[in-house]
Amino acid sequence: MKLRIIYYLLLVGILFSACEKADKYNPSPRDNFEALWQILDENYCFFEFKDIDWDEVHDRYSVQINETMSQYDLFEVLGKMLAELKDGHTNLFSSFDVARYWAWYEDYPANFNAEIQKNYLGTDYKIAGGLKYKRLSNDQVGYVYYGNFSSGVGESNLDNMFIHFKDCRGLILDVRNNGGGVMSNSDRITQRFLEEKILTGYVTYKTGNGHTDFSSPYPLYLSPSDRLRWTKPVIVLTNRQCYSATNNLVSIMRLLPHVTVMGDCTGGGSGFPFSSELPIGWSIRFSACPILDADKKHTEFGIEPDEKVSMTEEDMKKGKDTIIEAAIEHILSTTDKPEPNKNKISTEILAN
Amino acid sequence: MKTVASLMILFSCLVFPLAAQTDESEEDDIPRSVNEATMIGVGGYNVMDTYLTPGIETKYTGWGLRILNERMKVVRLANYNVSRQQFLNVEFASTRNAADVATDYIGFVDYSLGYHYRFTNIVPNLKVLAGASVRLSGGFIYNTRNSNNPASGKADLDLNFSAMGIYGFKIRNYPITFRYQMEIPFIGALFAIHKGQPYYYLSQGDRGGVIKFSSLHNKFAMRNYFTFDFPVANFTVRAGYLNSMYRTDVNGVKTHVLSNSFMIGLVKEFVSFGGKRLKKTHEYSSAYY
Repeated sequence: MKLRIIYYLLLVGILFSACEKADKYNPSPRDNFEALWQILDENYCFFEFKDIDWDEVHDRYSVQINETMSQYDLFEVLGKMLAELKDGHTNLFSSFDVARYWAWYEDYPANFNAEIQKNYLGTDYKIAGGLKYKRLSNDQVGYVYYGNFSSGVGESNLDNMFIHFKDCRGLILDVRNNGGGVMSNSDRITQRFLEEKILTGYVTYKTGNGHTDFSSPYPLYLSPSDRLRWTKPVIVLTNRQCYSATNNLVSIMRLLPHVTVMGDCTGGGSGFPFSSELPIGWSIRFSACPILDADKKHTEFGIEPDEKVSMTEEDMKKGKDTIIEAAIEHILSTTDKPEPNKNKISTEILAN
Repeated sequence: MKTVASLMILFSCLVFPLAAQTDESEEDDIPRSVNEATMIGVGGYNVMDTYLTPGIETKYTGWGLRILNERMKVVRLANYNVSRQQFLNVEFASTRNAADVATDYIGFVDYSLGYHYRFTNIVPNLKVLAGASVRLSGGFIYNTRNSNNPASGKADLDLNFSAMGIYGFKIRNYPITFRYQMEIPFIGALFAIHKGQPYYYLSQGDRGGVIKFSSLHNKFAMRNYFTFDFPVANFTVRAGYLNSMYRTDVNGVKTHVLSNSFMIGLVKEFVSFGGKRLKKTHEYSSAYY
């Protein structure tokens, strides 16, 4: 009797228990090809915008897959298929290589030279978080270089930089060659240049597996920082390597009346990337979630500057950065010389 | 609207045990002891979350630890035919994908409060308990190599059907108490991010539709709990097996967290004094009062 009761109770439990087999490692080229194609088919966000026939891509690359190919050959074919998306946010990661699409800047002039930049920054520049900054042109122009959005920028970093620039007539924010990183750093910086709350753009995400299944665009707003703010003229320097979070910063900064974007078109990268993985274990990153600008337009292929300026061979031979020179000239020619002792360290001065 | 209604139902269920606790008055002369067990468990985990692996259902497997504290006491309700049970469970697991190149960490905490009606006269030495419980749980599944979708957060509030059988028997005069308990949530609310929605923009205010009504159409969870109590020297040891199943399919994201844990711990039976009963100091000898 006792054993029978226990037996029945155990049986009930087993009937309802969690039986789920673990995945088996699957290096099959065919299965991995199909998995990659499907992951992107259901989740990639720019098929319609880029007018990509993904079914045609499937058929064209499917014939290149066979079960006897090595993982290296498979990786190469899959990498080429991903390049069809023309997307710098789309990568395939294995333990031996990273498939990438870098034509968004490789096919264009660099418009940035770190060696020439040293002629402006020198060796005595200041460093605050990810910012390198220095006063130029007899202390009349503030120059700050932010080369990587993955390098943190704290509120006190920004405070100290603005205090250092308090007597300057304008500020150059150089984000050339900044390939992006943490979006919150973009917000923290741009908030310092706002005078009022503004609409900065919209975000939307896939709600289904169809290429046009998106949520309604959700408006994104940004409010001014309650710390030191800069409302004197700002020149944002850009080139083709301004990507992702940097592209987002430029799309916001260009909305402000005291900001001029100067240099080359940005690289774009307005799709918020997500990750997934293949049965073989390789990681796939792809644009999943479009961030639209304030006019609900895509900036995936970049943002044109207000003033297009390119570095010239002649200037480069002289060790000059044509874009920095143009920015300095712009600030000096459009602002008045400050009266002596007019500026004090206060939020009012910086905001007026 | 459904979510609001379900939350109201759950809220009323939470109020019920609070009211029940106040039923224990000084007229209850017989001290009702609390049966408490604190157990540690080790077991296998099988985890899948399509927010972390969009477009493909990839299972991660590995091992995890859990600590479980359980308290049970007969309360005055229905002429002392109802018992109250509380569970506090903390678990953490580390899992790997089939290619053994990526890791998912899992962490969950949950608390449940249940009331069971006790049927004690069916078979000698057998108690059958049936009732309901409210469970509040929260946790995460964290993938160490993902970019902007590194973690999937979970938060659930459930009303569960709960049933239990407790059977005491002896093997050569060695007393053993066997228990089987099953819990299944049938209505509740949960937090579920949308497929493809970044948490970054959730923090910016894009929160529409992330709290969902849950029931068997989008969530199936279950706990099967087997334990044996037996004396060892001056202690009572509780050894058991806990089978836990959590499956959801909400906002385009499929999740499962399955585990099978072997548990072991110690049981103590104590009488909790409080309130007016503390005045009756002749009934006990306290080191403190």
